[in-house]
Amino acid sequence: MLLRKLVTVLTLVLVTAGTVRAELLIRITEGADAAIPIAVVPFAEAGNIPAGDKLSTVVQSDLAMSGEFSPLPAEKMLSLPSKREDVFFRDWRLLGQRYVLVGELTRKGDRVSARYELFDVNTEERLLGETAAAPASNLRSLAHHVSDKVYEAITGVPGAFSTKLAYVTLDTFKGKPRYRLQVSDVDGKRARIRLESQEPILSPAWSPDGKKLAYVSFETGKPVIFIHELASGKRTKAADFPGLNSAPAWSEDGRSLLMTLSKDGNAEIYRMDLATKKLTKITNHWAIDTEASWDHTGDGLFFTSDRSGGPQIYYKESERASPRRITFGSRYNARPRPDNSGKFVYYVHQRDRAFHIARTNLKSGEETILTRTESDESPSVSPNGRMLIYATKQGADSVLTVISADGGAAYSLPASEGDVREPAWGPLVR
Amino acid sequence: MKLSAQSKAFAVLLSAGLFAGCSSTGETQDDGAYGSDVAAIDQEGGSTVYGGDDQDGVSSSAMTEEERMAAQQQAEQEALRDITVFYFDFDTAEIKPEARDVLVAHAQFLANNPGQQVRLEGHADERGTKEYNLALGERRANAVQRFLIVNGASRGQMETISYGEEKPAVMGSSESDWAQNRRVELVFE
Amino acid sequence: MIGHEREVTSTGVPPWKSPVALSLILHLVIAGVALAGWTWSSPEHEPPPRSISARLVTQQQPEPSPIETLDDQPDRDEERRLEEQKRKAEQERKEEARKLAEQKAREEAERKAQEQEQERKRQLAEKRKREEAAKAKEAARQKAEAEAKERERQKAEAEKKRKEEQRKAEAEAEQKRKEEQRKREEAERKKREEEARKEAERKRQEAERRLKEKQLEALAEEASEAKQAEARRQAQAAAAKAREAQMLTESEKYQALIRERLSQAWYPPSSATEEMTARLQITLLPTGELAGVKLVSSSGNTAFDNSALSAVRSLSRYPIPDKRDTFERYFRQFTIEFNPRRLK
Repeated sequence: MLLRKLVTVLTLVLVTAGTVRAELLIRITEGADAAIPIAVVPFAEAGNIPAGDKLSTVVQSDLAMSGEFSPLPAEKMLSLPSKREDVFFRDWRLLGQRYVLVGELTRKGDRVSARYELFDVNTEERLLGETAAAPASNLRSLAHHVSDKVYEAITGVPGAFSTKLAYVTLDTFKGKPRYRLQVSDVDGKRARIRLESQEPILSPAWSPDGKKLAYVSFETGKPVIFIHELASGKRTKAADFPGLNSAPAWSEDGRSLLMTLSKDGNAEIYRMDLATKKLTKITNHWAIDTEASWDHTGDGLFFTSDRSGGPQIYYKESERASPRRITFGSRYNARPRPDNSGKFVYYVHQRDRAFHIARTNLKSGEETILTRTESDESPSVSPNGRMLIYATKQGADSVLTVISADGGAAYSLPASEGDVREPAWGPLVR
Repeated sequence: MKLSAQSKAFAVLLSAGLFAGCSSTGETQDDGAYGSDVAAIDQEGGSTVYGGDDQDGVSSSAMTEEERMAAQQQAEQEALRDITVFYFDFDTAEIKPEARDVLVAHAQFLANNPGQQVRLEGHADERGTKEYNLALGERRANAVQRFLIVNGASRGQMETISYGEEKPAVMGSSESDWAQNRRVELVFE
Repeated sequence: MIGHEREVTSTGVPPWKSPVALSLILHLVIAGVALAGWTWSSPEHEPPPRSISARLVTQQQPEPSPIETLDDQPDRDEERRLEEQKRKAEQERKEEARKLAEQKAREEAERKAQEQEQERKRQLAEKRKREEAAKAKEAARQKAEAEAKERERQKAEAEKKRKEEQRKAEAEAEQKRKEEQRKREEAERKKREEEARKEAERKRQEAERRLKEKQLEALAEEASEAKQAEARRQAQAAAAKAREAQMLTESEKYQALIRERLSQAWYPPSSATEEMTARLQITLLPTGELAGVKLVSSSGNTAFDNSALSAVRSLSRYPIPDKRDTFERYFRQFTIEFNPRRLK
């Protein structure tokens, strides 16, 4: 009763105020066009932690590579807390930081355990508080894991820093070309050579479980598709038909491969059941049809065809559906790679005399050129759809560059020896 | 590229032939009916395009009535056969007019030497995607192969392979570098 | 020309109204009137019925009666008796004589009667002859008379016809004249009517115009009054308004400042979509410091809500107006909505 009276009085006050409008509403429709400032404080270490790159350094590098974060260099930090009690939020606010990651590494036997916490500097809330462990020899994996967790806590999207890259390098060894198929962390570190050949190696493609690679090798004098089990190094010829055997792409269940064969005289797309080797012809056209890739549903596929005169991106809703042309923006659009959400398809796009990476919004049809470099090839989307790796020319050599999927900040992977090409971003493996 | 009236006419003929080949077979047998009619189309397209060249080759040999002439002709043919690399425009597999006489000479040579094997290596420049270029290189090699068959060589003498953009003739990223890399090489074994 | 006109008009109007029909009717009427007035208007033209009246006289005149002679006989009784005896004797004697005479007379009379009969017959024949001759003569006369009469009649007829035609022509002319007159009058009437109508219209418009003018005047007056009232009101409210405007301007200024600061401070997470909206209610201290923030409407995405909260919390002091009343009115408590519109 009293409350009601009070409400009445308040209402009256509001009414008599008369000029009092509906409460002021301020709309914020744009955010900062900048990377999120984050302080990744070097973790405290207890016990014999292996030398080499610090976990925090790897995390900083990972977050920076995404283009979405701007890590604060350690030397600018006023303090190096490792737990909440030591975090003076005001200090981090003064440093303009939005988040602060603190933690501690502990050696337990041959494993290293990480306890870490992520705080929002402004709300002073803890967004993350976890522990994770890895073999002492695998500190980088632990670091990438922490990066993934931090990335997801802040952005709401799973991180893709624990995934692998496959790519091909080319250099000259003893006067002869040396092609090497390599697999590395997403930051290009811990690269391991999986195949070496004097003949070209092309189009590495990850199996959905991340355990196998399919690729094209000319080692027999002609293009042949191989499947390579990474753990064992065991290789099998998947397709060795007359003519082209190229552009392998795995199905979502890992049981079949899309491939381009010209055994009947012209480049067509087939699906091969890997268990039975049975082929299903998916395209049948006098034009070149190649570079197929399943969409996120696993039913539809994108591919390149020059049936309109020049290479363009086409889409088939199913193997038997009629192809629908996707790209119209220029005379040359090829090698489509859809993301995992079905929202975008990425591809090589010629504009004027330059080749860029572009993407088309599949809903709106809007095309955006994502790269400013001019000889861009082989786009590959990260499994979380937030990053894109592609090959581009740097001087005479090709290098790999990672950009955010919307075309933001570019991050060049540290060049290994010679020419690096044909990057393939591996799947998220949980 | 400067086009003579003759080469222009050839280009018109070529494009008309290609067009005829496409329009007669292209649209109707799109995906769905799985079969091996693609090769047939290519041959049909080729024969339409290069039909006139057959006579060209025949007439040139028929003209040589005197031995001296024949010898001279043969010398010329041999000189022509020194050329084993044929170039293409960007994203095309059309044999250039200036390559025709040389290819006819090669075809004659292969016809006269049935035991001779030749490998046709198709290449593309570095621009564009590797897989598409692989198919493009193959298309170029196939175009040369068809031309040679039409002019007397037999299919059994030839083997085609595409390296796409993987084996450039010259390194570099200039227009002239690219022009030299868009090619089909005849490798006699 | 006129005939042509009539032809034209005759085709355009109903038959009973056509001039031909009208003239026919008029003719009939005129003819009727003429016939009715004939007896008095032209009696001298009646043909003389002489032969007819003569015949009637001879046939219908009554013959003279023989009884007339008996009316004068004397009547005296005595005398009459003596006289009677005397007379009787006389009479008997006379009777004898008379009988003799009578016989003789009778014979004579018979002879005379025969003679008379012959005479009568002769006379009768003569008379018949005469009568026939007279009759023939009369017939001839009558015939001649009839012929003359016929001629006369024909003449009269012709005359009548001529007159009739003349009358007709005259009537037609008259009618034409009347028709034209009627037309003229009609045209005149129409013209007058039109003029009248125009005049009426003009008057109506004029009246309307005046009315409008009046209304406009009234409106103008009203407007002017309203304007004046408004001006007065504005003048009266000027100070308040100015204060208000100043506050509003000030409010808008600070709103824009806050918007800008928050836009710079907000990092929409990569999972954000344009469909996401988070609303936060802000309470400020008069110093501009944040007294409290409450998530009143979640975007449904934790990372998004967190980014909004973080942005709001990131401002150490909100830009607020110096004027306390403006602050109290707008910035003591307000809502901030985060809804990305242009995601990359």
